[in-house]
Amino acid sequence: MTSESCLSCEGIERYLGEEEERVHALRGVSLEVEAGSVHAVVGPSGCGKSTLLYILGLLDSPDAGRVSIESEPVLHLSDDELAHKRNRLIGFIFQFHFLMEDFTAQENVMIPMRKLGQLADAQMRDRAAELLEAVGLGDKLRRPSRHLSGGEQQRVAIARSLANDPKVILADEPTGNLDTANSERAFELLQNLVHDRGKALLLATHNPAIAEACDWIHEMKDGRITASQPRGTRSAVS
Amino acid sequence: MTPPFYIALRFLTHRKRPLLLSLSGVVFGVAIFICTQAQTQGFARYFIDSTIGSNGALVVRSRFRPRYEPLMVSAKGSKETMMGRRLYFEGITNPNEIMRVSRRFSNVVSCSPVLRGTVSARAGFENATVDLYGIDPALHARTTDILHQLIDGNFDDFRNNTSSIIIGSRLAELLQAGVGDTVQLLAPNGEYWRFTVAAIARAGIGSIDSTRVYAHARVAQALLQQPSGASMIIYKLRNPNRAPALASRFETLFQHNASSWQEREESTLQLFLTLRMSVAITVSLIILLAGFGIFNVLTMSVLAKIKEIAILRSMGYRRIDISSIFLWQGALIAAAGSLLGCSLGALMTWGVSHIPIRLRGLLYTNYFLVTWDWRHYVFATLLAILAVFIASYVPARRAAELPPVVTIRGSR
Repeated sequence: MTSESCLSCEGIERYLGEEEERVHALRGVSLEVEAGSVHAVVGPSGCGKSTLLYILGLLDSPDAGRVSIESEPVLHLSDDELAHKRNRLIGFIFQFHFLMEDFTAQENVMIPMRKLGQLADAQMRDRAAELLEAVGLGDKLRRPSRHLSGGEQQRVAIARSLANDPKVILADEPTGNLDTANSERAFELLQNLVHDRGKALLLATHNPAIAEACDWIHEMKDGRITASQPRGTRSAVS
Repeated sequence: MTPPFYIALRFLTHRKRPLLLSLSGVVFGVAIFICTQAQTQGFARYFIDSTIGSNGALVVRSRFRPRYEPLMVSAKGSKETMMGRRLYFEGITNPNEIMRVSRRFSNVVSCSPVLRGTVSARAGFENATVDLYGIDPALHARTTDILHQLIDGNFDDFRNNTSSIIIGSRLAELLQAGVGDTVQLLAPNGEYWRFTVAAIARAGIGSIDSTRVYAHARVAQALLQQPSGASMIIYKLRNPNRAPALASRFETLFQHNASSWQEREESTLQLFLTLRMSVAITVSLIILLAGFGIFNVLTMSVLAKIKEIAILRSMGYRRIDISSIFLWQGALIAAAGSLLGCSLGALMTWGVSHIPIRLRGLLYTNYFLVTWDWRHYVFATLLAILAVFIASYVPARRAAELPPVVTIRGSR
């Protein structure tokens, strides 16, 4: 990994639950994601993929370890400062798209922009339209999000994750709820965006085909990264 | 438009049934508060205006007897001292001097001396005991609302004819006497004096309208055979609310008993105040119930929007933004509810003021009495804002405290 590091973590420890239900979810996880690359985290359910993503996305705090965005340590920051980092530097895509039901596709994409407050209303509308156009939803800007199909909703979520032009995109099984055709289309879209716009994408997936198409694959088991390999150097993905 | 306000507006307008429920609570709470305050204060205001208009805001009566407390020794074991009780000489011997000095007070608009006595009245076969007020017509017209209280006859006829009187409306009914009729008043020496009714006055207060008779001061003095210039002096004040302070000042200055309208009508005013407080407590409970309704609606909204809260947090919205979304919802409900409530309150007040009611007891009225006071609207709005803020604060705080990662994990 020679290029500029967008996102990195070192020695991440995380316990979940209380008392007898306490689980050691992450055990000394270290990872580095560079700009313009797509990283996949694979592993069985419960191995800690999502927990790692939430910590790297500053939604959760580790019990130990260090997280840096653009080489700057961030875990000492206040809740408000972390929120600002999330808004400015990180785009999230969830398995169940998590759109705001009371808003249209275009308005959903504008929500992160409204928070950042750098664009005028008309500029936000134009940018949201542009992003939705890029994900093939240019004709459904004003459609309420609940009236979109699952694939369309996930594409709106992808457009929304790019709203503030973030450095890092974190995707938790972004195609887990889509059929094969839609999965391939969504991933291709993300891959192109990352390579064309120099972003870093870290995704957790169970889909071997998608993992194989990533630049790096990190295998996780029992809260540890057991192997990190660039594309083409590994025989199969579990 | 800030992002939390924008989101709050959308959340609110997309859930119409809970919105209507919350809104109706505030609207009816505010409207009922305004309407009931207008009614209770309406009757009280009418009574106060009538009593001040008839008897003045302040009355100076009998002269104090000099005190000799330093020379007196209380009976052994007696807790009562002479300090608490004052003795009087009946009447005012120098009314003109007192009026001359008191007119220098900025709060005094005008004053009028009155010679008062109780006599029997007879008209035809009807008899009644009346409260005779011997007045200077010009001064009394300036000091009281007597000109506005006339419902029949003419004040000038009274002013120009010393053998004429003005009688209260209920007394006129009792004596079956109208304008131009003769009423006889019985002097202490047993002689009947004949008077012509020049006008009939309605103060609106039963106790005045059923007993009051106005005659010229000199005639009354002769009829009552009273040597003193006046029994009392009544005052019209620029600010009647400051009457107690002025009364205290006058007592010290003139060494005469002085009583404000607040002191004079204390028991009736306390009755009105008790009624008003009772109604205010009832209506505040209604607003409190509306607050509970809003609390429930917003709490349900937080639970329903738990996923959206997590999404917003993941997109960089701060805790304060999340709580602002729910506080804004409360604020919007309070604003719209207060506005509609004030309008409905005004409409209800207008409607109530047109309800026919025949009161002939303490007060005289044919319709419900209401007061149009902007302070009722401000107070109702402030009360609604306070109730809604308290009702919104807990759900808003709860929403802000929700850890987004727990929701996101739970949705997988």
